[in-house]
Amino acid sequence: SIDMLMPSEKAEDPDVIPEDGRLLTLRIRKKALQRREETIIVDRACRQETLTYEMESHATGKRPDNTTDLIEEGELLLTLNIFYPVIFQKHKDHKPYQTVLVLGSQKLTELRDSISCVSDLQIGGEFSSQPDQAPEHISKDLYKSAFFYFEGIFYNDKRYPECRDLSRTIIEWSESHDRGYKNLQSLKMEDYVFNDLSLKIGFPYLYCHQGNCEHIIIITDIRLIHRDDCLDRNLYPLLVKKHWLCTRKCFVCKMYTARWVTNRDSLAPGDPCFFCDVCFRMLHYDAEGNKLGEFLAYPYVDPGIFN
Amino acid sequence: MSGVPGVKEDCEELLGAFLQADTVRFERFAELWRERRFHTIFYGRMRALERNKLTKKTLDVAQQYFLPPYSFQIRVGALYLLYGLYNAQLCQPKQKIRIALKDWPEIQKFQQDLLDSQHYDVAYIFRRLRLARAFHFTAMPKLLTYRTKKRIEESYFKEEFRDPCNRVNSLITNDVLEEMMNIHDHYQKMKCVISADKSQPDKALSLIKDDFVVNLKDITLEHHEWQQNRVILLQNVEETNETENKKKEETLLKSEGSERANALARIKYRSYSAAIEVSKSRRHRQVHLESSESGSSCGKSPSRSKKPSRRPQPARRRGAMQVAKETVTRHIGMPIITEEDSHE
Repeated sequence: SIDMLMPSEKAEDPDVIPEDGRLLTLRIRKKALQRREETIIVDRACRQETLTYEMESHATGKRPDNTTDLIEEGELLLTLNIFYPVIFQKHKDHKPYQTVLVLGSQKLTELRDSISCVSDLQIGGEFSSQPDQAPEHISKDLYKSAFFYFEGIFYNDKRYPECRDLSRTIIEWSESHDRGYKNLQSLKMEDYVFNDLSLKIGFPYLYCHQGNCEHIIIITDIRLIHRDDCLDRNLYPLLVKKHWLCTRKCFVCKMYTARWVTNRDSLAPGDPCFFCDVCFRMLHYDAEGNKLGEFLAYPYVDPGIFN
Repeated sequence: MSGVPGVKEDCEELLGAFLQADTVRFERFAELWRERRFHTIFYGRMRALERNKLTKKTLDVAQQYFLPPYSFQIRVGALYLLYGLYNAQLCQPKQKIRIALKDWPEIQKFQQDLLDSQHYDVAYIFRRLRLARAFHFTAMPKLLTYRTKKRIEESYFKEEFRDPCNRVNSLITNDVLEEMMNIHDHYQKMKCVISADKSQPDKALSLIKDDFVVNLKDITLEHHEWQQNRVILLQNVEETNETENKKKEETLLKSEGSERANALARIKYRSYSAAIEVSKSRRHRQVHLESSESGSSCGKSPSRSKKPSRRPQPARRRGAMQVAKETVTRHIGMPIITEEDSHE
């Protein structure tokens, strides 16, 4: 009986809005389309739109090669918005975020591993004298502690011996006087899966790592898994939406992404100044590798590195 | 979420036509659908991303009509509409219909009602949708998005599609009335027992009105009748809107948007003559009209604004009509009972 609703003649082109429409929707849409045709010169999907669409739909319908990785019926799918900690003025009204799909039976540590934050890749230290030694220790390896805060409970990452309980400070603070927060607990992140948690949809929660890099997490949707979703367990947590951040380019060539930033540089036009690796070495070091001029140089990781 | 312009109106128009047809058969719905060529609602040149978003929003709009408090026929119509939209959509893979957890028991009850009343075609359509895996079972009905809204839009229920509110009836059921009657009798008997004269209670003990339960029953019946009348009234008002039939002026219902003085005079006349006979059991508490100030003030208010003008004083009058100028809005006063002037 679907045929009763469909037109009998199959030769209709869905791009063309029929003239005899009684539907208000179509009349409005037609006007909008006409306006667009008049004003837009080239009507083509821009990079951002292609990216958004691809990210949303690239995983739909995927099945795993290995049947043990198949997601079972009755699995819950959560949609989380993880906000970037970047604070630019232009983001005042709409803070940028990335959207991650995560399964109910996945551990919190898996989510933690999948969150890519630029502060994890920072390299501390001044390397003007030894530029070749720079990318050795990234912060992700040095400071491994992190915690999630859901509904009054801190879930700390305790997988490695270097991990510390970052939430202890907060718990001690709240217990020292009666501040109105009752019963803050501290638990291990790796012992819990999302199905164990009780969560509020739309309520902001926290993910903190590197000691002071804080991300707000908001859960926007919980639903049952569906046949048309991606059913490969290995692909979760799945990133479906990401905010595109413009990368800072090197001041010299304006082509490559900046990898170094210098302060108090006598050779540079401004303070601070960004350089890509090649331009940095060409400008500041001679053929033998000696330092020229006075400057302080730090390795720089651009927030847009995950584009 | 900014909605798709025009979709709500189109859906309501189709559902309204279905309501008029006064049937729940799929064939009738399909005719109405074909008349409007509703499947073209997704047409228009757009790329995949926008099409996904648009389809999702359209299904969301249609899904709202599927749930209570809409009346049974509207819900059946909404189910057909969802079926049609789901199959007419051009997205690949198809966008799904969201059903929240809290609504699921009601939908199951709805399905049971369908099977009990042997509307098998509706049940079949529902089953087809289930088999096609058209639903996403979610925790919350609306997917959250974070855009600053200029104004908060309230969910708006079209009045005619709603089932009449049955709260009074569900509170004061027959059982409750019977129970109250029994208690009342028992109470009277107790009073007789403890008073001097065994056949009737002491005067000092009469603290409640004796025919309390009977009055309650009468009031409930009246409320029910008032509700029916109101529904008919609204329908009549719509018709006269479209036809502009002058004959209807004579009825209590409306007047033409004609001369201001005429309108005012008519309102005054009606408000003065609107006292209605009460039933015999309450003859001693006849409704009486209040003084002329209230009449004049209620006559003035329609001329002031086009908005539905509410009565300035608290509702102590029988239902007369307030007429706003060109917009047709009705405010039927609640039937109320004036208190006795002297208590026993």
